[in-house]
Amino acid sequence: MSGAPINPAAPRNSQYGVDPKYIVKRGADLEGMTSVLLNELIPDMPPVIYPNGRGPSVIKEETERALATVDFSKIKPGHRVNILASHHGFTFLGGEPYAEMLRTIKDVVMSETGAREVRLRAGLGMRFRETEEYIKAHGLDDYFEGKALGIAPIDAGIPIETKLGTLYGLRKAYDGDVIIHAHNSDVREVHFHRQVDRAVKPFGMSYARCETRSTYHMNLGPRGANFVARSIFESDFVQDKYGFSVFMIMSPQGVVNVDADNDLYALNDRTTVGGMKYYGKIISLFGEIDGCIAVLDFPCPVPYVFAAGVIYANMINANIDLFDLDNPLPPYTWYTETFYDHRGRPLIPEIPPVNPAIKMVVHNYAWTGYPAVFFAEQTPTIVVGEEQAKHFDRDPMNLNYMKHALLARELNAAMAFAYETTGTDKVIIFDGAMGGLNVSSSLAELLLKVAPSVCDRVENTLIPKWLDQRDIDASLLGAIP
Amino acid sequence: MKVVDVHASVNEDLCKGCKTCEMVCPVYAITVGKREKKFKVEINHKRCVGCWNCEQRCPEHAVEMKPCDPYIIGTDVSQFDYNEIEALCRKARFHPKQLVCYCSGSRAEELAAAILSGAKTPDALVLATGVGAGCGIECNQPILRFLESAGLSFERRKQSFQWLGRTITVWEVPSKLKEDFPVFRFEEDRQLFDRIINASVEP
Repeated sequence: MSGAPINPAAPRNSQYGVDPKYIVKRGADLEGMTSVLLNELIPDMPPVIYPNGRGPSVIKEETERALATVDFSKIKPGHRVNILASHHGFTFLGGEPYAEMLRTIKDVVMSETGAREVRLRAGLGMRFRETEEYIKAHGLDDYFEGKALGIAPIDAGIPIETKLGTLYGLRKAYDGDVIIHAHNSDVREVHFHRQVDRAVKPFGMSYARCETRSTYHMNLGPRGANFVARSIFESDFVQDKYGFSVFMIMSPQGVVNVDADNDLYALNDRTTVGGMKYYGKIISLFGEIDGCIAVLDFPCPVPYVFAAGVIYANMINANIDLFDLDNPLPPYTWYTETFYDHRGRPLIPEIPPVNPAIKMVVHNYAWTGYPAVFFAEQTPTIVVGEEQAKHFDRDPMNLNYMKHALLARELNAAMAFAYETTGTDKVIIFDGAMGGLNVSSSLAELLLKVAPSVCDRVENTLIPKWLDQRDIDASLLGAIP
Repeated sequence: MKVVDVHASVNEDLCKGCKTCEMVCPVYAITVGKREKKFKVEINHKRCVGCWNCEQRCPEHAVEMKPCDPYIIGTDVSQFDYNEIEALCRKARFHPKQLVCYCSGSRAEELAAAILSGAKTPDALVLATGVGAGCGIECNQPILRFLESAGLSFERRKQSFQWLGRTITVWEVPSKLKEDFPVFRFEEDRQLFDRIINASVEP
């Protein structure tokens, strides 16, 4: 069963993408495209509270319900409270659910504790004004009475003594008396965090200086690096300030609920299990695709464009099991990228290739602000539109991207070339369509055919293995929706 | 190696003198002073590497990146005995052909060559290679590891947020942590790194 394509996420005005006026045709509008609902592929997807037709008020109610379980006693009326957020949360469903969760945390903290100085500190990746854009777009500056701030990894730092020695946080993240960790649970960069301490990761990234982020991506290895966040979180400095955590719990279909806890590790165990249950099947299903053209069509940098609630980087890595810690190295991480030599050959034979099922990439719409040349080097890529090509040529992180990509003036021409060259008619579109997946009819047929056996394998073979590798109690599976 | 095709330019009418641009510049190309009740921003375009840090962090949006005649910053590896290059790379625990900067595409051998050319500080390495002139994040530790491996120490500038310090590598993780936290597989990752570093160098 498949239906008409689902509306893709709209292009967004941002300094990191071309003006939306240049996105004249979307992948979903291509001839022969259809959609598959996630419920058809994975029947036991949990129900979502958003989107559900009720608007963001349901997020407010759910956040209030979750916060009713939290101990606020660490926060005193005269305290300065920093709500620590990240850019990732704003990329879901237009950003409003995450913004509403942040607003509600502020309101509840003020009413429960009498604290008046409640500030938003929103971390980011490599686009140093990205959270400023979200703060403005969602009116958070006004809501936080001028106390909402984007914080970047090159801003003033503060040394933090940890079990790994001195690491560095962002001073503005920690300039409050108490911090509240407000994040989202989707597996997203599972190629980096490998679903180990996923809920803790922002302490080593969004709230951290470039020295710490470089430690994570360059110094400690693809699995060991995940100890960076834990070591910072467990430091006396952070523990002295840490209040509690609030997470928007995601599935590929939307927001499942909001979870909050003073104990971050308890919350981490729940999000770890939920991530495996909700996302393990869709990522494994991507691994069954035997050959396709991938169309990038979403307002995020290349590896972060979405389909079925997961990012394109998950598709690039779908030829191995990312959750299996016995696999040392995903086909794409920043470690893997460094392990190719000047001729583009792996330095050692055991480097896994990027997913060979992706025969060609049609880059219809994706942002700059993330080094993406690796993707164009590894997979034949056609960029649609001269403006987009120029935009990449101007980005200091992507000066070499177009050296490895072809340029097509319009989407139809790019697709005609891709069909002709690859010989496949299977197409997957990363366009943020909610509730389903925009694909060609041929790929819809394949996914529907293999989904039952994939779901069975993930449920009965893989999840028990993944949990065992992380020493997580399997009974938690029954405790999540 | 990086092609520099933009330089920073400041609209002094918008500048409030906060010095953020000066503090985030990886190569100390910017100085903010005051002249006749107005803030004066000096940008040394001979040092500007077109990284956009100042433009991206100025709270007043007073910095603009303007096109300039493109030129290349980089260090020619072939001018040195490759044995020296290789030795320094391996001391810093990098394979010579290993990528160290995702944005410029520079490899470890170029950082080594820049040091052999006389670069002694992080900013000098950025100026000599273009490493650190893109995202400004991920190559931070490779730069600091190379300097330390070459026996070079440097004094941090007070008027800068940058180059806070070299941090731990997988070879330095305490044994007790490895034992207490096996899920992080430190030892297996160290072995993977060792296989990379010790791989042969193909021309």
